[in-house]
Amino acid sequence: MTALVVGASSGLGRALASELARRKHDLLLVASGPRDLEALAADLNLRHGVAVRALALDLGREADPGARIAAALEGLSPLSALLLPVGVSREDDDFSLDVSRIGQLLAINLHAPLAIVHALLPKLLETRGVVVLFGSIAAIRGRGRNVVYASAKRGLVSLYESLRQRHRSSELRVHLYQLGFLATNLTHGMQLPMPATDPVVIAKTVIDRLAHGSACWYVPRKFALIALVVRALPWTIYRRMRG
Amino acid sequence: MRGYAIADVDLASFDRQFRARCRVQWPDRYRLLDALPADAPRIARGGGVSYVAASFGGDAISQGLGAFDRLLAFDADAGRLTVEAGARIGDVQRFALAHGWYLPIAPGHPRASIGGCIAADVHGKNPARDGTFRAQVEAIELTAPMRGTVVASASRNTELFNATFAGFGLTGIVTRATLRLARPPAALVLRRVPVRDFAEAARVLREAANAPVLYGWHDGRPGHFGRGVVRIGLASDAPETKRAMLPRAGRDLPASITPLPFALWNRAGIAVANTWLGLRWCRPGQSPLALADALFPLNDARTYFAGYGNNGMVEAQWLVPHARFEAFAGGLADTVARDRPLIALIASKLFAGAPDGFSFDGAGIALAIQIPAPAESRQRAFLGALAELAIVHGGRPNLIKESTLDAAAARRAIAGFDAARARLAAHNPGGLHTSELARRIAL
Repeated sequence: MTALVVGASSGLGRALASELARRKHDLLLVASGPRDLEALAADLNLRHGVAVRALALDLGREADPGARIAAALEGLSPLSALLLPVGVSREDDDFSLDVSRIGQLLAINLHAPLAIVHALLPKLLETRGVVVLFGSIAAIRGRGRNVVYASAKRGLVSLYESLRQRHRSSELRVHLYQLGFLATNLTHGMQLPMPATDPVVIAKTVIDRLAHGSACWYVPRKFALIALVVRALPWTIYRRMRG
Repeated sequence: MRGYAIADVDLASFDRQFRARCRVQWPDRYRLLDALPADAPRIARGGGVSYVAASFGGDAISQGLGAFDRLLAFDADAGRLTVEAGARIGDVQRFALAHGWYLPIAPGHPRASIGGCIAADVHGKNPARDGTFRAQVEAIELTAPMRGTVVASASRNTELFNATFAGFGLTGIVTRATLRLARPPAALVLRRVPVRDFAEAARVLREAANAPVLYGWHDGRPGHFGRGVVRIGLASDAPETKRAMLPRAGRDLPASITPLPFALWNRAGIAVANTWLGLRWCRPGQSPLALADALFPLNDARTYFAGYGNNGMVEAQWLVPHARFEAFAGGLADTVARDRPLIALIASKLFAGAPDGFSFDGAGIALAIQIPAPAESRQRAFLGALAELAIVHGGRPNLIKESTLDAAAARRAIAGFDAARARLAAHNPGGLHTSELARRIAL
């Protein structure tokens, strides 16, 4: 069976691709940098002997990413898992972005996952497959930072709920991971309020659970409690919080 | 620097003799690797396991290549493997051995990167038989801001290709390399030949020049100086000698070893260790040798390196021509008897190549001398005397190992130093690629 990883060239996406290849899944890898993608595809093929296809796609500019990906799946074994560890954030996402950059953030963080799920839903229903979405703790409650990014990630929660509402677990499984800080080049050297998690550790957990029924998980788990508290805070208190 | 994945990080050389807070970039994609401003001083950082500070310092941004560790192409029939430069030698050996091939020339630390092996032109288990790392590299890809990305080989951009080996990363960032693999021996047996002194060791080494594994271990204490054993790894097809050939990833020596809170290698500790090793090793005989153990002997040396404590150690490695070796060894014995330095161990190896640029090669015997507490005046004085003695006898230093050698001594010790430096400079306009090593010996 084939697994599709969108945003595969670095960070969590690369870790997921490696873990899937280790477990002998054929792969379609999608990311924006062709050189990185080709290198990863070659590596996973050589190390694990699985079929790996690479598709370079700029999700910030691609009008119909789902159609391109569906076409790239032709000839591979049936699609059983769609993983969407795709996302981009900006330091200046604080109401100072111009409209084109807002569009780009929405395109990558929300439009692309929606469009790809739409396009591949029939294939996933045929195999009783799984869609794995990746949200962020930054979207637990709106803040003055990560404005567009958090809006888009909140949209993914709605997508998760819609898919679950529409399809029983026996037809399609939907997983949503609400992630904290990841130890990637994006957090390299940053002073973080809590330790960043190794993407390799998260990837192993995600792939271990691929056969599970639909569910939402927080990683690290303590964020579930933090999210509950933050959501429960009275607005008059929450609005005074910064950071 | 925002947007470049750069942070300030405390780094130390493997021998712990140079520490600095450095700007370290952690790119995970090619576009980030290429994104630094064109005039930003930089140096590639692979495994970060060089004894000296070759991948940081000198106000350079260290560009970590850890994410560029992928295997790109493999020709199983011809034994050609193309990898990214951040690939670790241990991982490459694991892959190659699983497919019936290996790299005969590999440093002892499995976390050394392929790019680092090229930049240092490292030697392996018997440089007299195999040469240095350049002998098994078919082509490399380098990137530099002024030049862009180019491929270099023995027939294409030849000057750049040659200068990059033992070029210490100053000719650009090596991004990819195509390696020539060899068939591994079916099995190895280790023959032990005890020796009374370095003169005898030199004779034994020369007689075993074609062995796949060849090196000597020697006691460095006054009164015992030079006594030791030459270990000769020989290919064998005998079934009883066969052992697992794949080094296990979990056994890899860490890049950074937490030192013991005290120095184990004081005079008493060295005496106990040398006596024990003497009893264990210094008797004739032979036993099966796992290729994994032969390839990565440092995997068993975690306690040994930790035992140097916070002050670390220095390795002085000098290659002395055959004609002068016995006189050099005699002079060294006199120096040790007179000054009584602390020497944790001495290793000997046979070389039979020709030096090129700053490479550690030539025809002669190399001694690697590891000493604790190098900041102490007695130890420092010994290192100075050793360098002087070696230079007088035509010795050549291994610049990637010795962190106390200054620019003046390096210039005296390396024949053609200025020409080699000029060759590097020709491929490094504006000195954009730099490091503490480059600064210290004025490259």
